[in-house]
Amino acid sequence: MIKSNSFTVEINGQTYSADAGETVYEVAQRNGVEIPTLCHDPRLDPAGACRVCLVEVEGQRRLQPGCAWKVDADMKIQTESDRISRHRQVLYSMYMSDHRTDEEGGLPEETGNVNQLRELCATIDPIPLEKVEAPRAARPGDDNPYIEFDPELCILCARCTRYCDEVEAVNAITLAERGSETTIATAGQRSLIDTSCELCGGCIDTCPTGALIEKKAPKLMPLETKTTRTTCNFCGVGCQMDLHTHNNRLVKITSPAPGETLNDGNLCVKGRFAYDFVHHEDRLTEPLIRREDGQLHPATWDEAIKVASEGMNRVKAKYGSDALGFVSSSRCTIEENYLMQKLSRAAFGTNNIHQCAAT
Amino acid sequence: MFGAGAMTNSIPEIRDTDLMFVIGSNTTEAHPIIAMEMKRARQAGARLIVADPRKIWMAEQADLHLQLRPGTDVWLLSAMAHVIINENLHDQAFIDANTEGFEAVKERVQQYSPDEAEKITGVPAEDIRTAARMYATTRKAGIYYTLGITEHTHGTDNVYCLANLVLMTGHLGVRSAGMNPLRGQNNVQGANDAGATPMYYPGYQPVTDDEVRKKFEAAWNVPLSPDDGLNLNVMMKCLAKGTLKGMYVMGEDIVISEPNVSQVELGLNECEFLICQEIFHNETTRFADVVFPASCFAEKDGVFANSDRRVQRVRKAVDPPGNAKEDWKILIEFAQASGYDMPDYANPGEIFDEMASLTPKVAGISHQRLEERIEGLQWPCTDSEHPGTPTLHVDGPLIGKAQFQAVDYRPSAELPDDDFPLVLSTGRTLYHYNSATQTRRDPGPSIKQRQNFIEINRKNAKMLGIEHGETVRIISRRGAIEAEAWITPRVRFGCIWMPMHFAESRANLLTNDAGDSVTGTGEYKVCAVKIEKIKPTSPVSIASAVDQLAPVLNKPM
Repeated sequence: MIKSNSFTVEINGQTYSADAGETVYEVAQRNGVEIPTLCHDPRLDPAGACRVCLVEVEGQRRLQPGCAWKVDADMKIQTESDRISRHRQVLYSMYMSDHRTDEEGGLPEETGNVNQLRELCATIDPIPLEKVEAPRAARPGDDNPYIEFDPELCILCARCTRYCDEVEAVNAITLAERGSETTIATAGQRSLIDTSCELCGGCIDTCPTGALIEKKAPKLMPLETKTTRTTCNFCGVGCQMDLHTHNNRLVKITSPAPGETLNDGNLCVKGRFAYDFVHHEDRLTEPLIRREDGQLHPATWDEAIKVASEGMNRVKAKYGSDALGFVSSSRCTIEENYLMQKLSRAAFGTNNIHQCAAT
Repeated sequence: MFGAGAMTNSIPEIRDTDLMFVIGSNTTEAHPIIAMEMKRARQAGARLIVADPRKIWMAEQADLHLQLRPGTDVWLLSAMAHVIINENLHDQAFIDANTEGFEAVKERVQQYSPDEAEKITGVPAEDIRTAARMYATTRKAGIYYTLGITEHTHGTDNVYCLANLVLMTGHLGVRSAGMNPLRGQNNVQGANDAGATPMYYPGYQPVTDDEVRKKFEAAWNVPLSPDDGLNLNVMMKCLAKGTLKGMYVMGEDIVISEPNVSQVELGLNECEFLICQEIFHNETTRFADVVFPASCFAEKDGVFANSDRRVQRVRKAVDPPGNAKEDWKILIEFAQASGYDMPDYANPGEIFDEMASLTPKVAGISHQRLEERIEGLQWPCTDSEHPGTPTLHVDGPLIGKAQFQAVDYRPSAELPDDDFPLVLSTGRTLYHYNSATQTRRDPGPSIKQRQNFIEINRKNAKMLGIEHGETVRIISRRGAIEAEAWITPRVRFGCIWMPMHFAESRANLLTNDAGDSVTGTGEYKVCAVKIEKIKPTSPVSIASAVDQLAPVLNKPM
């Protein structure tokens, strides 16, 4: 970095180094200064849409969005003040007046996805405002199997549409209509299946309020599930994913947060959604042996292992080691591939070991 | 290629590149998350050259789409080298310092002028020149390729041609550049690294090397064979010939995945003993003598290695169903029952430790270290302090000097003729995965793509009188299948394309099992076929006419 592009800024009276081009939000976050936001996603260009991250910038008459405001040398920024608190109280109250609430007027229980607006609203003393009747259109006829849109929880921050444009680059969803009717729509309100949507589910992942949710995930509170970090089992990219399980069943798959792993918070349709095979009724659950009748029949592990090893040893005795072939799998782990080639070479004396991968 | 078969650079580097040369890779469908990095690079201003016979999504976004005829890659790439050398755009200093054999390539590519190449490849000579100049004059220029390059009888030649381009321009050891094969499966890289290959012990140590063999004999306490084994393509042929008599197949549906599968089926009928280790019944288990019920990725511990040599943890989240077992446990029990003293490893971490102790490339990796490194560790990683290697060859080639390889064009093994006038290429789609035993059990992929289809050019469709959505019969010298015809400008005149996912309509009944002379990889990307209509030619078919009349005919008199 050229020296003249680095300088210092002051946030809440503390001095921090910063680079030209960085935003107030980025400098603050890097230094552990919390600025709340709803519409910010590090993968997307700043939109300044939700107004939650407004800060005081010395010399500016109005509050400015921290996510979009670029720092400058010796800039003085205040992220907490009475003025900012008043702004948040009004802003969050307005959001609540346009958001589905429960009978007590609070925000409803979460359904699988965290509602960050709920967490923010818990930090203020809400001003009672008249409920806004916003006729935002849903897509009731959308029969896609994965992605559900609940317009009553939408705050129109456009993270989903910007993700669809800037990251996945398929532009399947967009902000449509005007004013209070503004909604998240597809072309002609068609089902996502009939658009350019590739069902990656990134819109669900980036949605801060749970307006976009998974159709197939049971509506469990996140705390009720156990989470296991693992590597995707489809293509060779090696995306990291968190498997959410409940009662020994896989109920949902999400990506680690952006910036943590090589997939940067992203998953594709297969990684995120194609996990029904894990608990499918067609799974093989018993060892099988082909009996005299020519059919495969269930057997115990002891018998199956015995019959199998005798069979391979019989062929080896009759035709020699090199009449045997071992096909390992690029779908299995490194350890299993290591054992398979060790089995072939050490136990049966042949280098006839390969796997489907021939790139 | 320069001492290791893997991506030279890392996936997160892609976003900072200035030029991407994508060849034989439908990245948005086969590697969606890598494609997201490419899209990001593109939005930041990187230029994009796509070489592909199909007008895939990436090609539509590209600055330059080189829509070559299938199987003519050597011509295209040699012509690019021709331009680079004759316009003096090569990096002589890099060539002198790091490589051998440049003169031979320089001489050879003189036969491959862009104007001649235009006739063979169908790509305008000027586009070839532009691509060559763009690639050679951009510092951070990366090549990304996959099976469109390797699944040919001249797949190795294609790879050599790409390597020549990388070496002559010095695009090696540079961040966001390099030569990057995108691996097709979660652990292709790891399976090769672990020695599931007929020529190498783990870590690409040759089985024919006496020193190496002695090391493994000492570790495993048993004499080992000094001879190269058979690759999978040859194994399948030996099955059919009757010289391979027993097989143990773990997690692969060879009857759907291998080319010319009817020969594979005949071979399996002759096989005296077949063990399958699987999570679902598939086409291959129909032939099995014993089937072991195995576990999927969510049910076991271990590691995968991805495209950029990154070793990452796989962790058990749920139990295998019923009496199914983790694959590693099955292999231990089977080896012990077969009379070999396989140790009682308590967990996959211990298995990995044994491999690491015999494999210098990954000696510094362990399950314990991976607990702290959530972004994984990229080999080479030679000791427990080593931070891993995101970019290869920063200090030059891994071993000695990198070799240029002078290559001659050889046509694909089976070219179209009067009887079989169309070229068929096969591939993967976004929504399914290989034999699709997993993805077809999920609603989304099934709604998007319920059944097999071919992509065919409007002109070819018109000549054959085929309508969009009509079911047709596709016939090669090896077999015939039926699929729906999708009329689309994505494919060239004379070419058709088909996915390989559908068990009831297996593309690999058609494909040619002629293999690459070095790797044995089958020629999935080029074979000659013809198409026959099934329904009569008249615009209103009899079936639909009957449908239209049905309400009238069924009326009570």
